[in-house]
Amino acid sequence: MALIPTLSIKDSTSFSDAINFSVTDSLTVTSPASSLSTIIAATTGANSIIVPAAATGTYIFVRHTGTTNGTTTTSAVVLVENTDDTQFANLKPGEWMFLPHLSGSLGVQVQAASAVQVEYAYWTI
Amino acid sequence: MATTTASVSISSNDLQPGNRLSINATSTLMKTGLTTGLELMDMGKGHLTTATAADALIESSALAGDHDSANYFYLCNNATDDTFHILVAINATDVGRLNAGEWMFIPYAQADAGAEINITASGGTCPYEYAIFKSASTLAAATA
Repeated sequence: MALIPTLSIKDSTSFSDAINFSVTDSLTVTSPASSLSTIIAATTGANSIIVPAAATGTYIFVRHTGTTNGTTTTSAVVLVENTDDTQFANLKPGEWMFLPHLSGSLGVQVQAASAVQVEYAYWTI
Repeated sequence: MATTTASVSISSNDLQPGNRLSINATSTLMKTGLTTGLELMDMGKGHLTTATAADALIESSALAGDHDSANYFYLCNNATDDTFHILVAINATDVGRLNAGEWMFIPYAQADAGAEINITASGGTCPYEYAIFKSASTLAAATA
């Protein structure tokens, strides 16, 4: 099964030379996997595990929906952590991340100071 | 205002029977807060050897005023040998492994002076490219 992620970064206003690049790849993935899902990030990360432990790692996509429940907007930041509570990224409203996650056999969890709806998907490497 | 956008599309024709996967997301990269665009970018490429245990791709600012700011990080392993990997750690926390040809893009927290991004080659020398977008970086005082 092939997964094809493409990243594009553009900027034509900040510098005298425009930024415009794109990178893509074709990834072989296996089960278990979770197609696009949502979760309400809790104040305790262990209550919002989005990727279970996987010794081989997972490709993960996480996006802050900018809302608490799909409707009500929020500016709360989402912390993205390994399941040992170590934080490695933070997402502001509307932001997303994609990476091949591998940290021992730890999974991934999210938490926020107040409720935030998070969209996510993962595929096992 | 600086307007830097990052977009991702994730697709698959054979992952879900009868249903083509197509995920698309775009965000405008902002400084801490939601209204001011980024102004600083560090971009480059190099070759990461296995000679050292880990190298700091970027070190966190020593100045507390630069911490807790918005930063974004792109890294791609351009190796063509599928046994060559780049291990990535942020603030001493392992976060990922890039196989040959793979990339990652994440907002990362420059939470304190130890919040550097460390990369380690495994298997062989990995050509890589990176871009780091930062919202704050105070110039260091001159020493000469």
